[in-house]
Amino acid sequence: MSDEHNPQNTPIEAQSSETTSGTSGTPSKDIDYVRPAELPEQDLYHGHSFITKWIFCQDAKVIGVQYFLTAVFTGIVGLVLSWLMRLQLGYPDLVPFITAEHYYQFVTMHGMIMVVYFLTALFLGGFGNYLIPLMVGARDMVFPYVNMVSFWMFFIAVCVLMASFFVPGGPTGAGWTLYPPQAILPGTPGSNMGIILMLVSLSLFVIGFTMGGLNYIITILQARTRGMTLMRMPLTIWGIFTATALAMLAFPALLVSCIMMTLDKMLETSFFMPAILQAGEVLDYGGGSPVLFQHLFWFFGHPEVYIVALPAFGIVSDLISVHARKNIFGYRMMVWAIVGIGGLSFFVWAHHMYVSGMNPWFGFFFATTTLIIAVPTALKVYNWIITLFRANIRMNTVMLFCLGFIVTFVNGGITGIFLGNVAVDIPLSDTYFVIAHFHMVMGIAPLMVIMGAVYHWFPLVTGRMLSEKLGKWHFWFTFLGAYSIYFPMHYLGFIGVPRRYFEMYDSPYVASAIGLNEFITIAALIVGFSQLIFIYNIVSSLSIGKPAGKNPWKANSLEWLTPEVPPAHGNWGEKLPVIYRWPYDFNVPGAKEDYITQTTPPSKVISAEVEKT
Amino acid sequence: MSDNSLNNLPKGFKGMSHDMGSDQTAFKGVQWGKVMMWIFLLSDTFVFSCFLISYMKGRTSTVVDWPNTSEVFSLHVGGMPVPLLLIAIMTFVLITSSGTMALAVKYGYEKNRKMCGWLILATAIGGLTFVGMQVFEWSKLIHEGVRPWENPFGAKQFGSFFFMITGFHGTHVSIGVIFLFIYARKVFRGDFDEGKRGFFTTMKSDYVAIEILGLYWHFVDLVWVFIFAFFYLW
Amino acid sequence: MDETQKKEQATTHKIGIYLWIWGLLFLLSFFSYMVDWFAFQGFLRWTLILIFMFLKAGLIMAFFMHLYWERYALVNVLLWPMTAIVGFIILMAAEAKYTVFTRLLYFFIGG
Repeated sequence: MSDEHNPQNTPIEAQSSETTSGTSGTPSKDIDYVRPAELPEQDLYHGHSFITKWIFCQDAKVIGVQYFLTAVFTGIVGLVLSWLMRLQLGYPDLVPFITAEHYYQFVTMHGMIMVVYFLTALFLGGFGNYLIPLMVGARDMVFPYVNMVSFWMFFIAVCVLMASFFVPGGPTGAGWTLYPPQAILPGTPGSNMGIILMLVSLSLFVIGFTMGGLNYIITILQARTRGMTLMRMPLTIWGIFTATALAMLAFPALLVSCIMMTLDKMLETSFFMPAILQAGEVLDYGGGSPVLFQHLFWFFGHPEVYIVALPAFGIVSDLISVHARKNIFGYRMMVWAIVGIGGLSFFVWAHHMYVSGMNPWFGFFFATTTLIIAVPTALKVYNWIITLFRANIRMNTVMLFCLGFIVTFVNGGITGIFLGNVAVDIPLSDTYFVIAHFHMVMGIAPLMVIMGAVYHWFPLVTGRMLSEKLGKWHFWFTFLGAYSIYFPMHYLGFIGVPRRYFEMYDSPYVASAIGLNEFITIAALIVGFSQLIFIYNIVSSLSIGKPAGKNPWKANSLEWLTPEVPPAHGNWGEKLPVIYRWPYDFNVPGAKEDYITQTTPPSKVISAEVEKT
Repeated sequence: MSDNSLNNLPKGFKGMSHDMGSDQTAFKGVQWGKVMMWIFLLSDTFVFSCFLISYMKGRTSTVVDWPNTSEVFSLHVGGMPVPLLLIAIMTFVLITSSGTMALAVKYGYEKNRKMCGWLILATAIGGLTFVGMQVFEWSKLIHEGVRPWENPFGAKQFGSFFFMITGFHGTHVSIGVIFLFIYARKVFRGDFDEGKRGFFTTMKSDYVAIEILGLYWHFVDLVWVFIFAFFYLW
Repeated sequence: MDETQKKEQATTHKIGIYLWIWGLLFLLSFFSYMVDWFAFQGFLRWTLILIFMFLKAGLIMAFFMHLYWERYALVNVLLWPMTAIVGFIILMAAEAKYTVFTRLLYFFIGG
């Protein structure tokens, strides 16, 4: 890739955010000056057959939709599993099919599916693939072929995971954390083929996401269009970018732990297996360390939850600013907060291990770092709220979901402070308090963002609007329902109801929880079924939805500014866009409209008092 | 890469803030493929680091004595045990192949097809030799009773970590050797001069691909430096 | 053979530099091997092993992998994540010491 297109050899100088007036010695006083292109046009592959256009397609938008649909399918499987769990918890003897073994298998598969195969794949693979090239002004990802292979690796990983339902012994029932030694010993459901398939599936997932992650990172770093500095990118991109960087660095630990556990199972090595008795018989294992697995797993596991959360943070910032017609407050600090959270997330993992029997002095270190990481997170919450303060808020479905996100995330975040402190965590560990915390902060809040994002970007992807009426019904059912499910769980946790228990037996102190469990189950079933409103909305709007036209939300960022809607292959038609500003110029004093798109040159808005970005 | 204006870029810390604050690219003048390989290698570094960290923990926490690596890995030459002889030869071979690879990259950019192609082949032969010696070492140890699940020399985990870590490294070397042979063929055929489209990716070929392969090969050598130090010497 | 080659600036160096680095790598490998041959023990052994290892790694990364001449931004992006690994190493060393302490305590002294 040589630079033949810069034949005049004009000096390549910084187009930094402080020099819109061209103070770096540029020859012309042209206020619309943007540096010339450094790289030649990208050489895209154009598929012509059905297979190369829709199946093995190299267009990131198609790949994004493929990821989205596959992830949603796995999410529905996870949702059904959660109903089965709730049925057992609310009405213990109602469904004889749900034995203790099956219950643990449902718990495990629900957890692994939702965290890894649904949320991670959806945010990074689904939203990342569709939005990254559009928002940075590229025609496609930098390596479209590798991108295509990455989706099919993910697909195969999902197939292997689903296959574990059908093998003898069923899927693994070790909990999504797969702790040894139990995970590979009899007594735990699925300790033969089930755990092997799970480990193989995770390894395939990691390999696939490494390929995809390389695409996302390099497209954002090296393939932006003219004028697009890092500090002019929408926060959606910052969130997805940081999450991808975390994924590149955290998934190796998962891969290593999966490989070592597979070897422990298949070759009887003793990486994690201590000297152990099984039904009175001394096994051949010895010398291994179960806590080593926990460290490796959580070295991956904690960044993983930020891989889920950071794209949600980024997306919600953009949704709020568009639908409140106001720039995001403190954009730079929001960026640094995202990056800071990402960096710190590698130093907090053992707050998941306070009761594991690890080195007791670790609690001091990890509790400190955990409380430190709460600071940039809280900063983001303040900035969202200040963005909304005195804004011109449009109370549509998207905004409702954003508000729902803020409420549930604050709730979940505060309970995280409880759990981050060692002394408070000890009685609350492995109780329903933990379940309430992580569902609020990782389940409900990012899910609100996903739903809001679908309502927001559906008009771009399909050219039609979703129904507002159905959307509002969907929101209220989901939000109030989800709160009804998870808020009572905090109380269950306080009174000591343990997690991952098949049933409560006759313990008197949880007799009071029976009614509450029934209530939660009913709420869960109602919320689950109300998602049918969403699915109906999507399917029907594809044909009878109001045509959206171009940029129906009057947003500023690049994805709305393509010549064709939905965007065609190559995104931008003849000419790549040129960027002059950040994507948050809403309600700028002196401007004609209440928004100024990123491609509007300064000469067109000469009377407006724009910020220098 | 030959544009004069790239020479006026600030360097050092100022260069970093210039690059990061700039539009379009964050690493001025670095092709996409090269950045891709570097970030992939960063990820792979974390994989091998996790393996070695697990090995460190396993070895430090064992209550059964760890085998004496000088004895286990020695070869008998003329009746005398020479500690770590095979490993020393393997290190020599791999470092040599790293050198030939670096030279191949240089000649590639100078468009000297013959030198480049032969040096890539030399690197591939070196890699193949390394793998062959690794296989020989495995078979020797297996013959002496070392298994992934136990061994006669000391702690069980010795065999487990040995086979797993050297196995992963050897796999990486083997994959590298395959690509080296493919690239040698491409160089001799002149694919990089003509910008012929690749088989899998249908993208145009460019001599930077040899530098990218070189990065992978040097990484494989780098990992060996760490394995040699931590596993065999320590 | 292409006669009209453009002058490649920073991407090709004279052959000498490769031979120098190569030689240094062999020398350092030889020294590492000598650590074992002379059977140094304890702190001296570990220090020497680590020093030679980091020197070799540094030479390979800086010169063979070209990092010495690459953009500083790229070098930083590649090297700062190593701090996460360093943190992991320190903590796992402490964890391993604790594990062996508990094993000695409970298996041999009887807890």
